[in-house]
Amino acid sequence: MQNDQPPPLSRTALGRRDLMKATGLGLAATPALAACGRGFGGGDDDDSGDGVTLNMVWWGDATRAELTQAALDIFMEKNEGITIEVEYQDSGPYQDKLATRFAAGDAPDLMAMRMDSLREYADRDALLDLNEYEGDLDLSGLSDSAATLAEVGESVYGVPAGLNAIGFVIRKDLAEQYGAAIPDGDTWSWEDLAAFAQTVSDASGGEVFGTGFDAQTLANIVVYCRQQGEDFFTEAGELGISAATVQSWFELIGGMRQSGAYPPAGFFEEIGGSPDQSYIAQGKLASQIIPTNNFLGYNAACGGNLVLLRIPGETQGARRGQSVDCPHLWSVASASEHPEEAVKLLDFLTNDPEASLATGTTRGVPANSSVAEEIKDSLEPDDQLATEYLMGLQGEDLPRSYTYPPGGSAIADILDVIAVEVEFGRTSPADGAAQFIEEAEGALAA
Amino acid sequence: MLFTVVPFFASLYLAFTDYNLLNTPEWIGLENFTAMFSDPALLQSLKVTFVYTFVSVPLSLAAALGVAMILNRGIRGLPWYRAVFYLPSLLGASVAVVLLWRYIFGLNGVVNAFLGRFGVERIAWTSDPDYALTTLIILHVWTFGSPMVIFLAGLRQIPVMYYEAAAVDGASKWRRFRSITLPLLSPIIFFNLIQSLIASFQTFTQGFVMNNGGGGPANSTLFYNLYLYQQGFNQFNMGYASAMAWTLLVIIAAFTALTFISAKYWVNYDN
Repeated sequence: MQNDQPPPLSRTALGRRDLMKATGLGLAATPALAACGRGFGGGDDDDSGDGVTLNMVWWGDATRAELTQAALDIFMEKNEGITIEVEYQDSGPYQDKLATRFAAGDAPDLMAMRMDSLREYADRDALLDLNEYEGDLDLSGLSDSAATLAEVGESVYGVPAGLNAIGFVIRKDLAEQYGAAIPDGDTWSWEDLAAFAQTVSDASGGEVFGTGFDAQTLANIVVYCRQQGEDFFTEAGELGISAATVQSWFELIGGMRQSGAYPPAGFFEEIGGSPDQSYIAQGKLASQIIPTNNFLGYNAACGGNLVLLRIPGETQGARRGQSVDCPHLWSVASASEHPEEAVKLLDFLTNDPEASLATGTTRGVPANSSVAEEIKDSLEPDDQLATEYLMGLQGEDLPRSYTYPPGGSAIADILDVIAVEVEFGRTSPADGAAQFIEEAEGALAA
Repeated sequence: MLFTVVPFFASLYLAFTDYNLLNTPEWIGLENFTAMFSDPALLQSLKVTFVYTFVSVPLSLAAALGVAMILNRGIRGLPWYRAVFYLPSLLGASVAVVLLWRYIFGLNGVVNAFLGRFGVERIAWTSDPDYALTTLIILHVWTFGSPMVIFLAGLRQIPVMYYEAAAVDGASKWRRFRSITLPLLSPIIFFNLIQSLIASFQTFTQGFVMNNGGGGPANSTLFYNLYLYQQGFNQFNMGYASAMAWTLLVIIAAFTALTFISAKYWVNYDN
């Protein structure tokens, strides 16, 4: 319609004033960014009649939502007069929305809480001390490892929504194909891992790397650090890991990378978190570290060829390194208008086998050991295996782990930057380790 | 209006406070601003943002002008071509395209496969800190569509008779471009330049999506606005984040002012 010829006009269409206006608009948008918090949509506490409405928020997907709703329906049936209003979303945007809701004075009653954010909230009196509700919330069924996860001093600010740990998985089919014997999973050392991985890499001619796990994932280095007899975070909320340990962690991985047992720099890309997309499912890695609650998914993606081992070095180190963790905690807001009801719901989710039968292991193994034992038989075989792994760990004498101090979430970012610098040889393991300690201590002091 | 003005001034107030989102803001004067000078991550984010802006803005404007001139020759099916080139700028900052970009530039992606034909070793475009920002700059240049459409509109307003007269006088193509097209188009170039500068300083999504919210690898794609977001929502330093937002406003205002001052020397308004 308009490709005949240019119109016979000699004036430029835009004058100076219009430009000023247009740019002014662009400028004004900047500071508004800092104030652009979006809530979950809020939802006022409309208590119709004498009923109580609890607002509960968490992150996850549609499958988890269905399972959770099934448990909540049972609760609402048992407790007439309590309505639960659920809001859930992806883990990414979850934390800024949660923070914004607290800032707006519209805190949810019961919420999923990240381990590394716990004290950001708890230290600012935003969460209910669950020890004050001992009568309503029974935590006696939890193992020491599980019960102390959210303990700060004398107070408890959360209950694990489920338990998990990290584990090492090896693909039997690849190990067999390349003639590498799978070491004993309870007693193997880091040297055994290196030898196993080397065999696979060499025999496959570089098609498959023997092992590969993130140097920068906090959960991984934490286990290694504990094996060296150090706490990553100390009881006093300080950084406990030494530069020497960080350095030897970088060197452990760097050595395997150099010999070809571990993939070269730049190999790991952001490929999405699902087991189907993982390198081990693609057959590019013969072994890696996974959260145990994902074992079922990974094993399915790998055609049922996975074996689950403990992290190497558990019997050679100064002490045990593995710990019992949780995908997230349940916490109650101190500003909740219905703390009794919220705690009651929390108690139901934690201690009632019916709740766990409904939710399964979507958030890990039930925190209450007898509940876990009770529902075990109803689980898929792979989930049973992961559950046993975790029950096994809880039965052992593991050193206690301490919560992230405030500011602790910055440490994951710092490690991420430095580990990549070391990976690409832009800094040495020794310099990288020293830099990590300096910056991490700075972040905690701030 | 209320919804813009109130947060606007609230954030100005917060910039001078220690505010963690949970407790009442505490007045600390200029501390947030002085802290910026000794924050290596902040300096890194400034560096990333400046490099990104000053490399990708000129490149994308040049590409926009070049393609606009080709399309202006009165080729058949102009609306179709225009739509094709415009499309990326609608999608460029969207999550889906950045994800797609990640695959195209992945270790086993199309780009490496293409370069491999010329014997170039595989490059870790998205996970090597030396290349990650380059990949995002290419993405930005690719989204030259919206300045292109504006250029195209401007080009069509330049009377053909000028070119005809110049051709009669024996002016070369380059000469005609320099002496007719550029001066007559300069207000449009100016407009596009300002728009692109401001948008580019506020880049967020690309860095956020490329490495799952982290600005990695090794903070090589830590854009200023991304770091601001991390400070505000991940580290609970909302006062500091507000101070950063206002500093960015000043930076953008300064560059905009500079561009306006320079306009005297190169922008022609013939009215």
